[in-house]
Amino acid sequence: MAVSIQTKYGNVDISNEVIATIVGCAATDIYGIVGMASKNQLRDGFNTILKRENFAKGVVVRQTESGTIVDVYIIVGYGVKISEVCRNVQSKVKYNLETLLGAPTAHVNVYVQGVKILEED
Amino acid sequence: MSVNVITNNEFKDMIRMGSHRLGQNAKFVNSLNVFPVPDGDTGTNMNLTFQSGYQSVNESTSTHVGELAQSLSKGLLMGARGNSGVITSQIFRGFGKNIESKETLTAQELAAALVAGVQTAYKAVMKPVEGTILTVARGASEAAANVAKSSDDITQVMLAAVNGARKALATTPDLLPVLKEVGVVDSGGQGLVFIYEGFFEALGGNLEASEYQPDETEMDEMLNAVHHQAVQNQFSNDDIQNGFCTEMMVTLGVNATSNDTFNYDDFRNYLDGIGDSLLVVADDEVVKVHVHTQHPQKVFTYGRRYGELAKIKIDNMRIQHETIVEDQPVKEQPQIDYGIIAVASGTGLEKLFQSLGVTTIISGGQTMNPSTKDIVTAIEQSNAKRVLILPNNGNIIMAAKQAGQVVDIPTAIIPSKSIAQGMTALLSFDMNADLEQNEANMTDALSTVKSGQITTAVRDTEIGNLKINKDDLIGLVDGDIVVSGQDLLQVSQEMVAKMVDEDSEIVTILIGADGSQEMAENISQNIVTAFPDLETEIHNGDQPIYPYLISVE
Repeated sequence: MAVSIQTKYGNVDISNEVIATIVGCAATDIYGIVGMASKNQLRDGFNTILKRENFAKGVVVRQTESGTIVDVYIIVGYGVKISEVCRNVQSKVKYNLETLLGAPTAHVNVYVQGVKILEED
Repeated sequence: MSVNVITNNEFKDMIRMGSHRLGQNAKFVNSLNVFPVPDGDTGTNMNLTFQSGYQSVNESTSTHVGELAQSLSKGLLMGARGNSGVITSQIFRGFGKNIESKETLTAQELAAALVAGVQTAYKAVMKPVEGTILTVARGASEAAANVAKSSDDITQVMLAAVNGARKALATTPDLLPVLKEVGVVDSGGQGLVFIYEGFFEALGGNLEASEYQPDETEMDEMLNAVHHQAVQNQFSNDDIQNGFCTEMMVTLGVNATSNDTFNYDDFRNYLDGIGDSLLVVADDEVVKVHVHTQHPQKVFTYGRRYGELAKIKIDNMRIQHETIVEDQPVKEQPQIDYGIIAVASGTGLEKLFQSLGVTTIISGGQTMNPSTKDIVTAIEQSNAKRVLILPNNGNIIMAAKQAGQVVDIPTAIIPSKSIAQGMTALLSFDMNADLEQNEANMTDALSTVKSGQITTAVRDTEIGNLKINKDDLIGLVDGDIVVSGQDLLQVSQEMVAKMVDEDSEIVTILIGADGSQEMAENISQNIVTAFPDLETEIHNGDQPIYPYLISVE
């Protein structure tokens, strides 16, 4: 279990898959992201763009004392400012995790796994 | 005046005016920013992005519009900031690519370039979110393309683009629910409208006076409204942690108090550590900072390390919003030796507790239990060396214990389950004893008091041998229903009979918000008659739900 919240009525446990899905949906909302990539490129095929149900393959979630740490593996479109897109991903992911889970997020590490060259470029 | 061809001069003018108009209204755009993350910086980001594009165009000596558009595209790419900034850079990247080889532009070519920009912009995203700047850009390009079919007048085409953009902007709240909720249009889309309006003006177009333009005061009002909203939201799920909206502008290198070189990331990270809602904008000469923090002085001291403070501003957001949100005003108290926090509601009870030495009252009780967070806040704000907590309700003890574990201040929880227990415990408090000793003594004292409560039954029920009808009076002793009936005097007397033993001395009656002094005196009289050895005391507790709280000790 990744995130455990204690309430007076009992515990709430949120699994890593849930976090991965939230992270994936938040990241792919960001302009400039064309897809999530697998963290395990060799096994899952080089630069395969993950489908929504496989977002967990592109997100690594760890718990530390200072909060949740997530690694996000993404593919960006060619021609965007990658550093800025990544910053946007970080702030959106952090915001969504904190609003939807109420759990503090310590770090959002973004791994750009590929650049997709869009037609006509 | 009609323009049939855009040369390098018109093009440069368009970019300059677009940048100017966006810059003027950046604050307003910030105020609309709720998507994708409500951090109020879309206007700032777009403005910085577009200025970078403008600078690049301005520095170019080319007289070829296609080449100028390349400079614009490059400048925007390099300067892109924030989500809207990135999208803007893509729109003009597609725009530039489309007119790469054109030395000048006709109305048709301009419209085609606008369309191409939108196509490029839509491609670079996995799932385009409608109701954003993308929607607005598309609305503008479609309208422009439409007019270009029948007109060679570039001013007319640009006017169509502006109107198309505005129309699309107006639909954004219907497309994106989060906008509708807050009652704003998309901030990035609004930013693009300003850019296009600037283009139109540069072409000699006059924006009609009747059309809506927010002026400075209005903008401030909207800014405040959005600010309020953000802060209010914080109040509802979380108390404001960082109460001071702090802004400063540092002129880098001027009279700096340290020799450290300015590093944007370090600077930002430091401020991030002491506040939230952080916005740091820097160029080579100045840094602008907006942050909500509990420690404005730290922000300024840190800023001084890198240069002179050109502008500073602090707003106390708690005071600002006190009128909107009912909340206990938070003030710094002088450091005290012992903080005693009690949970109670009703002005009478609050006064009684205060007269017994309680330093902080957390409003709450039977129907509204304070959260762990409320208690943590109270502990932290007590500014005491050590803290004792009287939950005064069985349901709050857990929350208090949790709170005690989180805070740095040594804290002891006295597990008082009723107001009467809380009061009795306070009588055993010794200012000079240490925390453990007080905890032990006060906890011991809890068992010496029996707490009775009189209230009205809300439904028919049967407990043990007691048959209770709705609206009957019921008497509870330490949480268990022991008597019921219709006559208050009789119920109270029977209840007290279950509470007294040979050690009992005093009966205390607390009159609730629904009780009366007269009736309390009658009850008192009645008890004394039945138990001549007992003394009675009557206090005005003003507590909700229980018209009379009667304790025996």
